[in-house]
Amino acid sequence: MPSRKHIAQRILRGSSEDPRRRRTGLSRLGRYLVGRRRRVAVLALIGICSAAAPVSALLVVQDAIDHGMRAHDRGRLGRDVGVYLAINALAWVLQTTLVRGLARVGQDVVLGLREDLFDHLTTLSLRYFSQQKAGWIIARLTSDVDALSDVLSQGLTTLVVNTLTLMAAIVGLFVLDWRLGLVALVILPPTLVISRWFQVRSHAAFLRVRETISSMTAQIAESVSGMAVIQAFNRERAFLGEFDASNDANLRTNTHAQWLNSLFFPGIEFLGIVAMASVLWVGGHMIGSGSLTIGTLVSSVFLLNLVFQPLQELSDLYGQVQSAGAAMEKISIVLDTEPEIRDEPGARRAGRIEGDLRIDRVTFSYGRDPVLHEVDIHVPPGNCLALVGESGGGKSTTAKLVGRFYDPDSGGIRVDGHDLRELELRSYRRQLGVVLQDPFLFAGTIADNIRFAHPEATDAQVEDVARAVGVDRIARRFDAALLHTVREGGAGLSAGERQLISIARALLADPRILILDEATSNIDRPTEILIEQALDRLLRGRTSIIIAHRLATVRRADEILVMEHGRITQRGSFDDLLGSAGPFRDLAAQLQGSDEVLQSAPVSGSRASSSASVVSSEPE
Amino acid sequence: MSRRFLSVDPPDLGLWPTAKGLAHQWREQWRLVAVGLVCAFVYSGLSLAIPIVIRHAIDSSIAPTNGHHKALWPYLVAVVLLALVRFGVNFTRRYATARTGIRVEARMRELLYQAYLRYPRSFYDRHATGQVVSRATNDLYPIRYFIGWGMTQGLQSLMLIVGIAVVLFLVNVKLAAFALVAMPAVFVLAFSFARKVMPISREVQQLKADVTEAADEAVVGIEMVQAFGREDDVQARFASKAELVRDGVLRQARVEAAFLPGLLFLPTLSIAAVVLFGGHEVIGGTLTYGEFFLFYQLLLQLVWPLEALGWILSLAQRATASASRSFAWLQGIETIPEPTHPTQLPHGGGLGVRFENTHFSYGTGSEVLSGVDLDVAPGEVIAVCGPTGAGKTSLLNLLPRFYDPTEGRVLVGGVDVRDVKLEELRSAVAIVTQKPILFSIPLRDNLTAARPDAPWDEVVAAAEAAGVAQFAAQLPDGFDTLIGERGVNLSGGQRQRVALARALVAGARVVVLDDPMSAVDTQTERHLVENLRPALAGRTVLIATQRLSTVEVADRAVVLDDGVIVESGRPADLLARGAVFWSLFGEEIGAVA
Repeated sequence: MPSRKHIAQRILRGSSEDPRRRRTGLSRLGRYLVGRRRRVAVLALIGICSAAAPVSALLVVQDAIDHGMRAHDRGRLGRDVGVYLAINALAWVLQTTLVRGLARVGQDVVLGLREDLFDHLTTLSLRYFSQQKAGWIIARLTSDVDALSDVLSQGLTTLVVNTLTLMAAIVGLFVLDWRLGLVALVILPPTLVISRWFQVRSHAAFLRVRETISSMTAQIAESVSGMAVIQAFNRERAFLGEFDASNDANLRTNTHAQWLNSLFFPGIEFLGIVAMASVLWVGGHMIGSGSLTIGTLVSSVFLLNLVFQPLQELSDLYGQVQSAGAAMEKISIVLDTEPEIRDEPGARRAGRIEGDLRIDRVTFSYGRDPVLHEVDIHVPPGNCLALVGESGGGKSTTAKLVGRFYDPDSGGIRVDGHDLRELELRSYRRQLGVVLQDPFLFAGTIADNIRFAHPEATDAQVEDVARAVGVDRIARRFDAALLHTVREGGAGLSAGERQLISIARALLADPRILILDEATSNIDRPTEILIEQALDRLLRGRTSIIIAHRLATVRRADEILVMEHGRITQRGSFDDLLGSAGPFRDLAAQLQGSDEVLQSAPVSGSRASSSASVVSSEPE
Repeated sequence: MSRRFLSVDPPDLGLWPTAKGLAHQWREQWRLVAVGLVCAFVYSGLSLAIPIVIRHAIDSSIAPTNGHHKALWPYLVAVVLLALVRFGVNFTRRYATARTGIRVEARMRELLYQAYLRYPRSFYDRHATGQVVSRATNDLYPIRYFIGWGMTQGLQSLMLIVGIAVVLFLVNVKLAAFALVAMPAVFVLAFSFARKVMPISREVQQLKADVTEAADEAVVGIEMVQAFGREDDVQARFASKAELVRDGVLRQARVEAAFLPGLLFLPTLSIAAVVLFGGHEVIGGTLTYGEFFLFYQLLLQLVWPLEALGWILSLAQRATASASRSFAWLQGIETIPEPTHPTQLPHGGGLGVRFENTHFSYGTGSEVLSGVDLDVAPGEVIAVCGPTGAGKTSLLNLLPRFYDPTEGRVLVGGVDVRDVKLEELRSAVAIVTQKPILFSIPLRDNLTAARPDAPWDEVVAAAEAAGVAQFAAQLPDGFDTLIGERGVNLSGGQRQRVALARALVAGARVVVLDDPMSAVDTQTERHLVENLRPALAGRTVLIATQRLSTVEVADRAVVLDDGVIVESGRPADLLARGAVFWSLFGEEIGAVA
């Protein structure tokens, strides 16, 4: 039974055909069995016993026929039936244990793998996450691990029990009468060939069905979420046409898969009858010649059932095992990805950071072309540095290097005189605060989100920072206030509200170094004012780098750097920069120009200090 | 005049109308159904005939009771031939039945999808996308398997059970009674197993969905996690969700362990009865070896039909539950009513827009619009301002009739929108929704989605005005770049610009822009504002916005607060007045001070 063995090998040791694949195959699962070897050994023993049970029960039936019925020994008949029942009762108990035990082992393996995979993912660098689509990564953690889980929970029992039963039944046939065993062995190879053919074809058909289902589901999902536009632009007919095409494609692949399925099981059933007829034919003649008993023949016929039934069930499993193997390979790709940023050997724990930040002649590239050229920056403790300039100038990259999301190609970044690469990553980052343009909120309450970077914070502390940055005001519109549950990604909150929460989060974390990357962009005006006030509170007493487009945000910086094409082209204080011709003034004019309407409007009284006036008030 | 709200969440259908609906679907495929049923009948007959022939082979040839051996081969040839016919019949039954199911599934899905295209916005407000999608996909599987397997298999099982019982009783009444006494328990066990395991497996599915959510969250928010060094926390959170899945699967395994081995054990009780009592009768000469074989074989053949009946009964419950929901949607959801005697919009020229004492409520909370009166002249560009929640989006959504006002009227070109054919109204009104919705098709097709036959130079002009042309050139395939998960993910600002260009391409006489540049960066916005005015020339435009720079595009601004218009006039005049409009935008000045 090469294919059975093959499946068993794949499950237990990984494919042995290709030595290079050994590590990426299912063999990887072996290490989750460490410490469970005794349990596995016991389960294997139970599996063998429970597979042997129905076979030995049939040997008892043979005895009952030949030595009970034919020998007219009613006592022996009664004893045999008693033994028959005892064996089956034992099988019942064994199988119950086996189903539970195998599920336990399988699920422990799945859990271990899932946790390891997730833990590994969290150590991978941003470069990895920017190159790989989120959907792809998530599929490894979910559908791929689930595919393994299916094989290991339901599949493993089916595989173990049926493989062992099949083998036990063949052994049983030879024990009953070796000649009948040989007859069965003649029938088996063509059956296996047909099974194999079916398995391969049916797996391919199943994959096609899955493809058409997923593209059809995607089509429906897209229509449903885009229904407003479909209806607004009268596109109903076009979308119905598209749907019909994918619905029909799904119908066709399904029909083909069902055609195969409908062929296979009746086919095995037919071959089973052929095997039965062959055994009866040979057996009948042997009885005629006196070399076989009727009991042996009848039991052999029933033993054949135990050969053909497992074949059907194992065929069902083939697709599952194939999918699991493919899933494991993809999981291995992730597991084998080395984290780009990690603690160097001998990295030290960062003590409390004072916040003296030096960027020394840093050059950096994502690919071939450098995006930073020998950038030199020094921020003294507690100072605020602003980075301005058009997008693509290298501002965010500089910020990401400070967070050690990437390491520079040359040069170094030093905090309090220590190169970042000498510090333990996590001990450094725990003293780092980051507020991004599109802050990410996790599913949970607003309070949970504020507490994210400092889980031990008390309710009173959370309330304090919420009040300090004005989150309490936005929370007030919800019944549960700070305990209002935010859905994943922060749906239901405006961008500005999410921003305020992420500022509260950073404030509670009490970082020594703070990075604000476009934290005030794309926010409606009233909220922006709240945020500007919150920032004042947040920046106090910390070294900070802010990247911003709004002049209002940049004003508060001790020093402003203009970055263009990866180089610093101008530096100085806000007033100095505005006072002299240069890139900053051009930028400022551009940024504020959209507020010209304010200038033309007869603005009343003291409210006239518009941002536009900052630009216009400068001496020419 | 208060209007009734459209019914968009009908209760599930009762058992009888659901059964009628299912029966109707079944009848639509009557040819395949008939083939399946005939084959099921023949299959049952053949499945009885084969062991009976073997019994005679044993009794007359292999172990003849009278000691006279007849030739064995005619029996065995007959067995193989019968098996061959059975193979064909079985294949035909399975294939025909499975196709019935697949077709019913596809048909139901099509009915639902067609209905989705007609359902009003309020339906989509009420039901989550995932639910709507799964009702047309996963929820249909129980229906497919019930019709495509369960119904025919169930009838076949009944035929086999009755047939086997009849044969056994004809052969030996007493032995049949002993043998069959334990068998009904197989059915009961299978059925109660299915009932027990279903809720658990549904729960496991839910737990797996939670894991997906946790994974999704961590991957999308990875920068936050790493920036604050909180890997441990998310790992622990993920692990606890993953452990819940394991526990769920183990609970399922425990139920399986409690029931499934029992399903194997029960039939052995009957076999034991046959060996014991049948054995005594063989010894006593009242039962032949062939008859003993027949009992044994038929009991084995009886197990699956009994088990199947249990599964089918539980499947029937799930299928009717799922069908009752689907049919409830198909029959109980109202669509936006089309006029019985439609009026045409005036031909040529601009179309004015007029809101007359417009009230609106979503039916779930308080009134969102409480008497809006607004007159927009043909070709006028008007900005609708107001704090979040003032009702701006609700007001704009009345124009393409996403909703109807609860009181008052909305007029386009002097005609009540409810008197215009929906298709005509919607080709006259182009809308850019607050969240830009693009489709996973090439950029080019996204731009022309509203008017596939638009001349290319018009599309390019719109793309330039909306600022799409700038970034389109940098996309890998330019305008032919595929957008979406399988293609290029555009940023929020880029998506908004595409949606804006799409609305310009539509060539509609009324353009509704709901905060169309909220995610566009300041520099690009400036550029857009300059280009938009000429691109919109001649059209009536309503534009809702949070930004003063966008208000600049408009001839006139109105301020909506608490569902009524509180201010109206030139933006500069409104600013000077120093009232609500000023409080919305004027503080922009104060921020820098």
